[in-house]
Amino acid sequence: MSNLPRRIVKETQRLVAEPVAGISATPYQDNLRYFAVAIEGPQDSPYEKGVFQLELFLPADYPMAPPKVRFLTKIYHPNVDKLGRICLDILKDKWSPALQIRTVLLSIQALLSAPNPDDPLDNNVAEVWKNNEQEALKRAREFTESFAMKGSK
Amino acid sequence: MQRTPAGETVIIPRNFKLLEELEKSEKGLGDMAISFGLVDSGDTFLSDWNGGILGPAGTHHDGRFYQLHVHCSEQYPAVPPQVKFVSKINMNCVDSKTGTVKKEKLPAMRNWNRNMGIEQILQSIRMEMCSDQNRRLRQPAEGLTF
Repeated sequence: MSNLPRRIVKETQRLVAEPVAGISATPYQDNLRYFAVAIEGPQDSPYEKGVFQLELFLPADYPMAPPKVRFLTKIYHPNVDKLGRICLDILKDKWSPALQIRTVLLSIQALLSAPNPDDPLDNNVAEVWKNNEQEALKRAREFTESFAMKGSK
Repeated sequence: MQRTPAGETVIIPRNFKLLEELEKSEKGLGDMAISFGLVDSGDTFLSDWNGGILGPAGTHHDGRFYQLHVHCSEQYPAVPPQVKFVSKINMNCVDSKTGTVKKEKLPAMRNWNRNMGIEQILQSIRMEMCSDQNRRLRQPAEGLTF
C-alpha cells in the first residue's frame, strides 16, 4: 500500500481535509483504492433528506481510466440501473485524467438534481419519467423514504 | 489482483469484481458450454447466481443441460463460491445427497486464487465430467433435481 500513487494520496487527503458539501468519501483501511461514499439527496429534488451510499474504486490504470462508481442504496432514477450502475458520460467516453474523484462525485450529485431520461440506463424508469413526470417524482420520493432515510433499509 | 509498474498490488473489491464477471457473462462466454447470471437482476450484492453446464460430448453427460446454484459469500473472492447442483448428477466431486460440489475434490476450488471467478469454477466442473472417474459413471434419469 506504500506504493499507492502520489496522485491518489493527494486526492484522498484533500477529500478528507476539505470535504464537498453533502458528500463524504472514506477509503477502506485494507484497500486504499476503495472508498465508501455517501451523497446527500439535493434540495428540491425527490431525493431530498435521503442519504445514498455508494462505492468507488480506482482501477490500476487510474487516472488514465475513470473510477468505477456504483450506488449501493436503491434509487429510482432514469440514469441508474437496478444494480446501482450509473450512466454518466464522464465515467465512460468523456473521462479525462484532469478530472478527479471530487468532480465525479459532484457530477453524480448534480445528476440527482437533473435526471436525464433521454439518455437512460433503466428504460422503464425513463419511460415513466418522460410520460408522467409527476408519477416519476412520486416514485422517486417513495424510494428515497424506503431506502435512503434513517430507519429505512 | 494486478501489479502496477510502481510495484503496487491492486485488489479489485468483491462487488466490482462480480460486476465484471456479470458483464463478461452477459456478452457470452465462448461456445456457451457454460453460462451464468444473477438469480435476481436487482441483487445489489451480487450473491446468488444460476449456473448452467452443457454436458461434454463423448461422456455420459452428453446432451444434458445441468443447472447449478452458485453463492458468493461476503469473503468472495478471498474464498471460492459455494456451488450446488440443482439437476441431479452422479459425479465424484458432488455430494450424492445434497448436490453440493465438494471443495477438496474440485481442482478450481482446491487451487483457488482471487483472480479466478465463477467462470473458472464451472469450467473446472465441466472438465471433471470428462475425467476417467466421471465420464462413464451411471447417471440418474434426466430432469431430476436434488
